[in-house]
Amino acid sequence: MRQLIVRRLLQTLPMLFFVSVVCFTMIKLAPGDPVLSFVTPNMHADDIERIRHNLGLDKPAYIQYFIWIKEMVQGNFGYSLINHQPVLGQILERLPATAGLMGSAIALAVILAIPLGLVAGANRNRWADKLINFISYVGISIPLFWLAILLMYLFAIKLHLLPSMGMRTIGVESPLDVLKHGILPCSVLAFGFLAGYVRYIRSSTIGQLKEEYVQIQYAFGSKKSTILFRHVMKHVLLPVITLLGMSMGDLVAGAIVTETVFSWPGIGSLGMTAVKGMDYPVIMGITLFSSLMLILGNMVADILYSFVDPRIKLKG
Amino acid sequence: MRKGISGVVILVLLTLMISACSNGNNAASTNAGASQTPAETQQPAASEPKDGGSLIIGVASDPVVLNPNYAGDRVSLTIDQALYAPLFQVNNGEKTFYLAESLTPSEDNLTYTLKLKDGLTWHDGEKLTADDIVFTIDSILDEKQNSFLRANFLIGDKAIKAVKVDDLTVEFQLPQVSPAFEATLVQVFPIPKHIFENETDIEKSTKNASPVGSGPFKFKEYKAGEYLTLERFDNYFGGKPHLDSVTYRIAKDTNAANLALQNGEINVQYLDPKDVATIQATNNFEILPYSEGRLAYLMFNANSDTGALAKKEVRQALSLALSRDELIQTAYTSSEYADPAKSFLTPDALYFTNEVTSFDNDAAKAKELLASAGESNLKLRYIVQSGNKAQEAISLYVQQKLKAVGVEVELQNMDSSAWVQKFIDLKSTDYELALTGYIMGYDPDAYRILFTTDSSSNYSHYSNSEVDKLMNDGAGEADPAKRAEIYKKAQELVAEDAPIYPIAYTKTVVAVSKNYGGIDEAVLKPVVIFEDLSKIYQK
Repeated sequence: MRQLIVRRLLQTLPMLFFVSVVCFTMIKLAPGDPVLSFVTPNMHADDIERIRHNLGLDKPAYIQYFIWIKEMVQGNFGYSLINHQPVLGQILERLPATAGLMGSAIALAVILAIPLGLVAGANRNRWADKLINFISYVGISIPLFWLAILLMYLFAIKLHLLPSMGMRTIGVESPLDVLKHGILPCSVLAFGFLAGYVRYIRSSTIGQLKEEYVQIQYAFGSKKSTILFRHVMKHVLLPVITLLGMSMGDLVAGAIVTETVFSWPGIGSLGMTAVKGMDYPVIMGITLFSSLMLILGNMVADILYSFVDPRIKLKG
Repeated sequence: MRKGISGVVILVLLTLMISACSNGNNAASTNAGASQTPAETQQPAASEPKDGGSLIIGVASDPVVLNPNYAGDRVSLTIDQALYAPLFQVNNGEKTFYLAESLTPSEDNLTYTLKLKDGLTWHDGEKLTADDIVFTIDSILDEKQNSFLRANFLIGDKAIKAVKVDDLTVEFQLPQVSPAFEATLVQVFPIPKHIFENETDIEKSTKNASPVGSGPFKFKEYKAGEYLTLERFDNYFGGKPHLDSVTYRIAKDTNAANLALQNGEINVQYLDPKDVATIQATNNFEILPYSEGRLAYLMFNANSDTGALAKKEVRQALSLALSRDELIQTAYTSSEYADPAKSFLTPDALYFTNEVTSFDNDAAKAKELLASAGESNLKLRYIVQSGNKAQEAISLYVQQKLKAVGVEVELQNMDSSAWVQKFIDLKSTDYELALTGYIMGYDPDAYRILFTTDSSSNYSHYSNSEVDKLMNDGAGEADPAKRAEIYKKAQELVAEDAPIYPIAYTKTVVAVSKNYGGIDEAVLKPVVIFEDLSKIYQK
């Protein structure tokens, strides 16, 4: 197992290199210029050129890339072109907020999706199935930002139950306060995944219910709920682990929207600002970080898979 | 499996706990008003200002840098206004002295003597003296220090000198007469010498993260992506501020920010005109539209590869095809938020007059002019920022109105950074029309770079030797009466040549919770919302 993990980690290096080349090329091909963030109408053309030179933006793109990768190898993610703060520091500062939001959203989505998917699958074409299917369709179709505004309006403005934005009340350092602030963004992000998971579990359940072991359990007189939650669920959950690994990319995309709307101080909102300002060291840092998460997410999923079902042997 | 589910529940709680415990190195303090609802915070109006309480101002992004020598973005400038005190400010031609007690020009107008108030202190208790003023000017002028303000302190490529006379007196020596010098000095918010002395790169200094200023509020804590809080500076020379603290809450999404405003999580917020009715309906806010000294205009690029707009008559004809009133309705929903513009100067500028030639709303005359200029089947390219509602609305309006006079307009939508890149590139020749705007301050000399031949921001490539001469004369003319004549003539000439189509002097709309008083004394100010936050109090 250890060998496998080391091998998989080594494989991530060329992948990250490839991602960095593609990302850098795309940034350089995209229209826009980070220096524009500094330009004011009364700024002299010489001053603009001086800023460009000081930031190293007057060098050819490939030289800029080599400088960046050289620094990267030495563990330096560079400095933001806009606020001159170290990129790594900014990512690490915001990482806990994003990790908390993503982790809780995924967990919430799984907690809700398992019973909903099982119930829908076991009651195919009955009202429960139709209701759950309807919620799933809504979840798939509804844009996250719109759902966010809707929930914010309902729970913060109309019912005064929850704060509308931010990660904490100003000046308050309390885990409970963060939990309260996290309910809406976590629910919005979870809802996007919930729909996909429910549909997946539902169809797996329908498939499993036709299997021989289920018929045997019925023959032994087991209750439907016992069969469903004790036997079928085991088989249904196995592919969900893979689904979780594959969700990492969507999770990052969802977090960008959710964090921006709720002013959640995570990597997503940092990335959004960086893209607007063409702040390429920050964009590169976040992209590499997200790619790493995606790769590691899949690796962890594979490892978990082999634990849950020992028949599966992993091969690097 | 029950174990599995409880494991997941624990994971949810754990992950949120992790994020709760992170980012928590700063001192904690409670803010009772922070998330109260308007109903809860509603108090009977008091006639006398009270001390205490907090104010939360919504801002659209994190500050870039908390150092006034480098702040160019709206958020940094807004926060710096509370952290750092200026030497003096000018509103409607009236000077209000802050750190300075007086500013006196010499008879030959080549030396300005600035006297500081006695007993000024920085937030850390150190004395604020002439040394700090000289240090600030020297660091602005130091090329290695990269300050955006540097170009303003050069007159004809020669630097202004700041010389200490005594602890409270500084002399500014000008290489030549420059009445616009006072407008330059308005932008100076001194930085402390004892903090930044010997810093090789002040812009990137870690000391900017815990700024020491001389303004009414001092730095308390900053949570990146969340908020920045300032607390009252008891030794503020202008008198102890009323509020205990001011917080700038970062809300990037406009819709979410408006909801937070209604929820009492934000007390002051810029409003888009289209959102005014919703916020007004709550009856909890004062809606305050005020002029930002900004001109919104349609830019005619005379340098396009077709050369279509190089002829004055064509530019005049295009202007005649449009209607200011309709444009204002289209873009700003009401004339309450925008005044019709004719001059290139804004109403807050010295020597402004709107009594100039204007071309407006006469399609028949527009057709005549186009015919007399020998233009038929004219095709123009109009660059538009995608997602910018005002730009998109105006572009469609312009397309329709110009079609009525036989001019075809091709709309080219592009991402905002691509748009800006194309617009500020003086070599761009592949478009003719763009909607834009500027805030240039109160001295008309600042506008020189926009309308003199080959100058740095002459995006319309306007060239008129008479205007060039007038603008240069105006820059060096000390006699206010003669200056007034010069700029009145320049305004008329530019209006007649129509290098741009001035649309409106736009207003900024700010919503302020009715729980706060002292707004008039705090003075609503372009870009930074309030000039002096020390005057605001909670009712």
